[in-house]
Amino acid sequence: MSALATAAPARPRRGRTGHGIRVAAGVFVCLLFLFPVFWMVLTSFKEQRDIFTTPPTLFFKPTLEHYIGYMQRADISRRLINTIIVATGSGVLSIIAGAMAGYALARIKLRGAGAIGVLILLSRGVPPIALAVPMFLVARRLGVTDQHITLILAYCTFLIPYVMWLMRGFFLALPKELEESAMIDGCSRFGAFVKIILPISLPGLLSTLIFSMILAWEELLFALVLTNRFASTIPVAIAGIAGDTVNGANWGALTAVGTITVLPVVIFALLVQKWLIQGLADGATKG
Amino acid sequence: MSKTVDGSVRHRRSHTWTKLSDIVSRWSFMAPAALLLGALLAYPIFYTIQISFSRFDLMTFGAVEWVGWENYAHVLDDYRFWSSMKVTLVYLVLALPLQIVLGFGIAFLINAEWRGRGLLRALFIIPMVVAPVVAGGVFRMILDPLWGIANYLLGFVGIGPLDWFGDANLAMATIVIIDTWRWTPFVVLIATAALLALPKDVFEAADIDGANWWSKLWSVTLPLLMPIIAATFVVRWLGAVKMFDIALAATYGGPGGATNVINLFIYEEAFRSLRFAESAAMAVIVLVLTMLLTGLFLLGTRKLEDRY
Repeated sequence: MSALATAAPARPRRGRTGHGIRVAAGVFVCLLFLFPVFWMVLTSFKEQRDIFTTPPTLFFKPTLEHYIGYMQRADISRRLINTIIVATGSGVLSIIAGAMAGYALARIKLRGAGAIGVLILLSRGVPPIALAVPMFLVARRLGVTDQHITLILAYCTFLIPYVMWLMRGFFLALPKELEESAMIDGCSRFGAFVKIILPISLPGLLSTLIFSMILAWEELLFALVLTNRFASTIPVAIAGIAGDTVNGANWGALTAVGTITVLPVVIFALLVQKWLIQGLADGATKG
Repeated sequence: MSKTVDGSVRHRRSHTWTKLSDIVSRWSFMAPAALLLGALLAYPIFYTIQISFSRFDLMTFGAVEWVGWENYAHVLDDYRFWSSMKVTLVYLVLALPLQIVLGFGIAFLINAEWRGRGLLRALFIIPMVVAPVVAGGVFRMILDPLWGIANYLLGFVGIGPLDWFGDANLAMATIVIIDTWRWTPFVVLIATAALLALPKDVFEAADIDGANWWSKLWSVTLPLLMPIIAATFVVRWLGAVKMFDIALAATYGGPGGATNVINLFIYEEAFRSLRFAESAAMAVIVLVLTMLLTGLFLLGTRKLEDRY
């Protein structure tokens, strides 16, 4: 008892110094993690002669030459549109199919639902390269390589299982009475799903949709394999710039295109960060 | 009398009807996903398996004749396959524990209660949404042996200049660093939520018992976090076995195959060397191994959840 009384007032003081160190260390680590992005954006506004300097340049006269010059040369704007089409298409398709299936897994008694759940989880471990070879061959035979729809469907292979699993966890957490009362009131199962379940799941749906679109936005392997000119996406262009060993990597172009790729996603992600973090945490815990 | 019989018959018929429509309405929720995944996931896997047992004809671009285990024998004889598997293993063994430990450590730091906590947490989303291929390219610039800012800064503490891409061991470290930069924030975000959800009363009880910081960590915090650490590990594992973009953009497998992870190697064999049959065999081997290990990890997670 006396030990408790003496210990109690001592704790906050030691806690405060420890607290200060923790905050400072947290800020430092955060800045360290943000530095590469900062450096990318900074470099994208440098003239060529400011990029290759020792010591590295911090202050310089900013230029837009990499944005303007490279965007025209490598068809970046067309690739950007392609990437938007593919990310939106695969995101929307996956959220529809995945949310319905996730609901079925969470709420509807299906014979074999347990086995399906295990299959989905396992399917998240399928290496895309095992799908890339046959997809390329089939697409080639059907004459649908280099088309948006091919890439959209290819992305469904990893997006649907992802959405199913996240949404399953989300629906499991909802009280059962919700749709039960709706169905007693004469709603069909589908009606209850659309009118009751979907509206209250909107935050979860939205964050899952955004995350799916981000995954599609940055995908490289399928885009490399299944497109070449017409439907090619931004990551393919970046891989091309980074891997240009003939002329040496064009850092101005690399960082400019990198910034264009990353910026919209960052803005989107920060806008919905609360839901995003919640969704992530749920996705990992409510397995 | 006849009225009631009539009524019960009609009732029975409508009963089977509702039962049928009930089954249909149950499964209709599953149908779109099942159809899409069947056509886009299951079918290609079977096709890969078929190619892996066939001779592949580049004229017709198709599998022509059954050759049994021949392709597998070729692959298992190929030292490059084994070296690529070893590289992948080293990457996984280095990157996964590092990211989990760092992630939970950083989560502890940024969970300190102060005004900027929410902002810090939000900022940690940024590396996570940088496309891996961009991350690879940007780090290539930052770590450039000649002009990169990393070597310049390391020079102040007397390290280097390091040849981040030319030295075989260092190149692996480079890949792990880039991957860790990209993925640790993901662990951090999961870990922050997990730390916030820890029950406070257990810690108060431990304080009353006079537990010190270390024993609290070992006997209270870690056991409580174990299920979520395991779950995070599985999610990270599922991502890490697909390692491709970062290696492609940063090192393209070099130098001399030192960072040639298996996905990159299979990609090269298939789409550069056009050895589709061997690539399919490798893909099947990787697929089976991944499935087995994923199943094992999932079982382990379940066990852990039961224990704690």
